[in-house]
Amino acid sequence: MSDLFDIVTSATLYAAAIRLALPIFLAALGETFAERAGLVNVGLEGMMLMGAFGAVLGSDVTGSALAGVAIGLLLAVLVAAVQGFVSINLGGDQIVCGIALNIGALGITAFLVRAIWEGGNAPQVAGFSAFDFPLVANAPFVGVAVFQQGIFVYVALVLALISWWALMKTGWGLRMRGCGEDPLACESLGIPVKRLRWQAMLICGACAGLGGVFLALGQLLTFSDGMSGGRGFIALAVVIIARWSPMLAIPSALLFGAVEAFALRVQSSDLDVPPELMLALPYVATIIVYAIVVGRSNPPAALGRSYVRQ
Amino acid sequence: MTVERFIPALTRGAVALIGTLAVGLVAVLAAGLDPVTTLQAIIDGALGSPYAIRQSLTEAVPVTLTALGVAVAFRAGLFNLGGDGQIYIGALGAVGVSLLFPELAPILLIPFALVVGMFGGLVWGCLAGVLRAKLRLSEIITTIMLNFIAFWIISYLVHGPLKDPGGSGYPLTREIPEAAQLPVFGDLIPSGAVLMLVAAFCVWLLLERTPTGIKIKGTGSSASASRFAGVSMSRVTILVMAIAGALAGLGGAVSLQGDQYKLGDFFSPGWGFDAVAVALIGRGTATGTLITGIAVGALRSGIQSAQGTAEVPSSIAQILLAAAVLFVIVGNAEGAGQLVRRSWARTRGLASE
Repeated sequence: MSDLFDIVTSATLYAAAIRLALPIFLAALGETFAERAGLVNVGLEGMMLMGAFGAVLGSDVTGSALAGVAIGLLLAVLVAAVQGFVSINLGGDQIVCGIALNIGALGITAFLVRAIWEGGNAPQVAGFSAFDFPLVANAPFVGVAVFQQGIFVYVALVLALISWWALMKTGWGLRMRGCGEDPLACESLGIPVKRLRWQAMLICGACAGLGGVFLALGQLLTFSDGMSGGRGFIALAVVIIARWSPMLAIPSALLFGAVEAFALRVQSSDLDVPPELMLALPYVATIIVYAIVVGRSNPPAALGRSYVRQ
Repeated sequence: MTVERFIPALTRGAVALIGTLAVGLVAVLAAGLDPVTTLQAIIDGALGSPYAIRQSLTEAVPVTLTALGVAVAFRAGLFNLGGDGQIYIGALGAVGVSLLFPELAPILLIPFALVVGMFGGLVWGCLAGVLRAKLRLSEIITTIMLNFIAFWIISYLVHGPLKDPGGSGYPLTREIPEAAQLPVFGDLIPSGAVLMLVAAFCVWLLLERTPTGIKIKGTGSSASASRFAGVSMSRVTILVMAIAGALAGLGGAVSLQGDQYKLGDFFSPGWGFDAVAVALIGRGTATGTLITGIAVGALRSGIQSAQGTAEVPSSIAQILLAAAVLFVIVGNAEGAGQLVRRSWARTRGLASE
């Protein structure tokens, strides 16, 4: 039992929680834009996967992690463009399209890994390493827990603030949210629904892609088939748990990061718990938290309904 | 059917087929393969001999059974993305019964194991159905979570309590006794294929010939109208998810008893997602799903055997399925319909609407 206590009180657990929450948070942030504009994007998982794959490809070919970020973002945004074209321009079924893109992303990444790399395995690539945040990195507990992270943590925090401001405090954000509540009324007021929805979808692709990029370049430094591991779907739950708010997505995603970090720590400790069952924990937690919160949720009114101007 | 409606429907089908084949051609060329020999190798591997046909059918059975369940849920407006989890739990039920009662006669043991497998899948599907009906949790999220939970439970069992102590270290259960194994008719038709046909017929009966089918389809096309007509939404939701889970569980049991004989943590190569694509391409009908499922089984089996001769990556099947689904949605989309109608009107010299 004292082992368990040690795990829960160690600063490295919280550092890991932040690291593991990050991909989920970024994907959820993107999805918040899409859903606020009235688009359900179930293809989040596929966008993360393409982002992770592009990151490893770019980093491997050029040797620079920054190029990896660029390629990862590009591929994820491409997937978002397909989702955008089908759901915004053609008014096709958004959920079915997302499911197809997830299957496609699984297939395409698996295909390309075998086509590009000798032996059919992605190599270890250059990534982003953690650094000590000036002044506070050596603060007791908090220093290790929060301020010895990679650059992505701070980027994500800034993105969250910008997103909250843009979506909640600007006219652009108000109009975008309007598209998610009543696109017909928006159209009659002269608001360009199509353009705003496209912007939301591309932002969503970029954020989810960044989540995938971080998964690859901030943690594992390589790509493996299906490495997004359902995080895109956990992010869908996070959006609902956070009630479509960019800021609330931070604690919601952290919760799942903490569960995953806890599971990993228990797995590598002396505690006599089957490791496989610990790996199931984040998914169990998703269902439980989702079940507790969902009754009070209030989604955008036009969410997921196709809207094509007649 | 008038010409105006028939031509677009025909065009849609043709465009979807040509588009999918074009994507396949690009993938084959990208892999540095010769398209003609590759196609030849795949067709040979799928249909070239009695053994190839038997393999194709074997491969088609779990996907098609799962897809039939996805189709039933889809008609009620629900997405069962949990096929894989349901397959794993189904296979677990079947392997459990087969190993616990090896002395039973085949005539008892085979159906017993199949039924318990089906029941396992039913429970797993029901979970998502109840969560949706009682707590309003999206089945899209919960079924995916239940997939991972099922996967890690199986992984735990086959690495631990159920691991074959005599096996050479692989995380697999013991092989099920012969009395639990499904027969193959005339060395050609696996009994799973017969079960698949029976299941497809039952799904057709359910959807097209029963009051329950009307309720299911009504719920899918207009939830508010159904509720007004007194249909219990939560009952339909739980029912269709139970059916979907049972069919996937049966798929897992059949693959275990008719093909793999052991349960391991790579038991399903992604049949759950394949099944979703199959049901969507089959437009949620029993016949459409059955035909698409058999075609996908043949494709997968053809690619598998072509891997030996022409190094065809198996991920091509997934890419083709995703492309086909995309083309089907585009064909069904309101906006695309407008485009087609407009150009049709234009070609007949009429003013655009």
